[in-house]
Amino acid sequence: MKARMAHWGTGEYVRAGGIVAAATGVCLAARPRLATVDIAMILLLSVVATAARYRRGPALLASLLSTAAFDYLFVPPYYTFDVFNPSYFLTFGVMLIVALLMTGLTARIREQRVRADEREQQSRALYALEADLAAADGHDALLATAAAHLGRAADAPATIFSAEGLVSDGGATFPEDPVFEDAAVRVAAMWAWTRGVATGWGTDHGGEVPVMLLPVRAATGTVALATIRPADPAVSLSSAQQATVLALAGAIGSALDRQLLAQQNERARADVEAERLRTALLSSLSHDLRTPLAGIETSASTLLDEAATLPAATRHELLGSILEESRRMTRLIGNLLSMIRVETGMLAVQQSWQPLEEVLGVALLRMEERLKAHPVTTHIPADLPMVTIDELLIEQVFLNLLENAARYAPAGSPIDVSAYSEDASVVVEVADRGPGVPAGDKERVFERFYRGPAAGSADAGAGSGLGLTICRGIITAHGGKIWMVARPGGGAAVRFTIPVAGVPAPLPAASATG
Amino acid sequence: MAAPLPLVLIIEDELHMRQALRAILAGSGFQVVEAASAREGLMQASGRNPEVILLDLGLPDLDGREVTRSLRHLTSAPIIVISARGQEHDKVQLLDLGADDYLTKPFGAAELLARIRVALRHAAQPLEDLEAPITLPGAVMVDPLRRQVFRGGTEVHLTPTEYRLLLTLLRHAGRVLTHRQLLEQVWGRQYAAQTHYLRVYMAQLRHKLEADPTRPRLLLTEPGVGYRLRELSEPLKR
Repeated sequence: MKARMAHWGTGEYVRAGGIVAAATGVCLAARPRLATVDIAMILLLSVVATAARYRRGPALLASLLSTAAFDYLFVPPYYTFDVFNPSYFLTFGVMLIVALLMTGLTARIREQRVRADEREQQSRALYALEADLAAADGHDALLATAAAHLGRAADAPATIFSAEGLVSDGGATFPEDPVFEDAAVRVAAMWAWTRGVATGWGTDHGGEVPVMLLPVRAATGTVALATIRPADPAVSLSSAQQATVLALAGAIGSALDRQLLAQQNERARADVEAERLRTALLSSLSHDLRTPLAGIETSASTLLDEAATLPAATRHELLGSILEESRRMTRLIGNLLSMIRVETGMLAVQQSWQPLEEVLGVALLRMEERLKAHPVTTHIPADLPMVTIDELLIEQVFLNLLENAARYAPAGSPIDVSAYSEDASVVVEVADRGPGVPAGDKERVFERFYRGPAAGSADAGAGSGLGLTICRGIITAHGGKIWMVARPGGGAAVRFTIPVAGVPAPLPAASATG
Repeated sequence: MAAPLPLVLIIEDELHMRQALRAILAGSGFQVVEAASAREGLMQASGRNPEVILLDLGLPDLDGREVTRSLRHLTSAPIIVISARGQEHDKVQLLDLGADDYLTKPFGAAELLARIRVALRHAAQPLEDLEAPITLPGAVMVDPLRRQVFRGGTEVHLTPTEYRLLLTLLRHAGRVLTHRQLLEQVWGRQYAAQTHYLRVYMAQLRHKLEADPTRPRLLLTEPGVGYRLRELSEPLKR
């Protein structure tokens, strides 16, 4: 920067001389028609012009040259520097003062413009940084983006080291990076870290260290350390660059703060959600398990105590309720276990090629008793492609969907199961003619412990509220989607997709004899 | 019935399950001997010579595979594995090691007795060569000598592989066959892992023999394990 100033300066001095020379020339040419005062004015004008355009040095030169020219050429005795009239000293004085005042003024304006330019550059760098940081996903991405911006501002590669692995009680630990092999860098790094002050190259502290060590400070203190490594440590940073780098470091610190805060918020939200789940699970367990258990206990103890006096029909009824309640508990516990597998990511999907028809068949057979009151129709095209699924999990999906249909649809209403292939997926629909789901609840039905409004059959609302949540977990694990649609003509329909991943290996030709 | 009552060995560590099994079996005229652990069960199996063994999957003292192997050394009596849902992988292992069938808890008395009946029947009369025509549920008739299959009086054309599959299931009617067992017997040992062959042919068979292939009455799926031909009302004749 200094070298450039000197270079510009020479040109400015030459041009200042030129301006004065031109003014002098004009005065010499017009001399016969000009009074001495007019000549002084013209020369003064040349000084003003120079001072307005150039720096103080050239302006002073111009005022000296004009004064000299005025004295030498236009003030008697001519061609000497002697002065008869002391009032001409006043002329020199005025010229000097004007030059000084003008240059001071223009220099200030110029300075302000340079400052404004620097500020604009800095705010542009900050703006670009903020925009990129906002887009950065995750701590490491944020640090990498921030380092790129620092590097651009300093014209040298920058790296940011996160606090982890930097801080330790007692001795300092350093990241595994060759730059920290230099003892001077390590000392500077510790200084920068503990004092929170930029240290090393391009800063006001320890300039002999060839690397800049820039602490990134957040509300909690120093949270990261940036290094900037110039190719040539002899070339320093301009004060504007230095200011930009420091401003960027501040912005990075705030971004890290925001990220930390967002993480804490996310964690708090997850905690609240977990707490809500625990509460719901607890109430579900206490109600849904204790109710059937109480029924079983009552029926069993009645049978035991009153065996002799009970009519056969009552005994049969009590035994039937024990059986029914036990089955209900078995279903509920099965759902709770599936739920835990879905929630904890323990859902080990063992996929193999299967015709959907077979899985549906198993589910229909197992539900035969539950579905007694509903005619079930199935529309599975014979040429439906095979899918890669975990048969036990997809069976569970069918069981839950059929269970819901049986629970909410009035007795005697039909249940339709259909499948078709579409866009590299198999789409399956289980539809009933029950009350359907309120339009606003189409998504909520997949939430845990959602229960449909009690209606239709006697045990609506007796479900665990987990069925559809489990279905969604299972279908998602298969790479598919599940959603609820309003059925034309009334009723609820759940659709799910299973992606068709190519075709299975071809079958061998029928072997040998039958 | 002058023949001595069949002896059933129950190897089950859980007291209430053992009581329930004993109640069902004794009520149906079986003799029962109980073992509360695998080691005790093995002793009883060699000492009492049971005709059917009910083996709980998940005994605390020995691994189920170990028990099955040891039992197979001691006796040829059919082994019926009693397991919970979700233990399909273990069940398949025991079936492939020589267990004959399985039951999933909770089960009803009828189901248990049907399994024992089928197991005893197969133990008494292994079916290798079938000759007499066999009538199956769903108006399906198989004529092994002519290799013809009829449904509702009209002949159904089966491919050789489909026929082999049907006949394999028929020889073990009422009993579960694992995917591996079926693949080995119908396609050969090198295809033992190609489960989808089996599923495709099973679907074809169902479309030809079942009134509603999504609600099979004859060719039953044992999810995660294999297939079972529904138990025949009358014993097969040679």
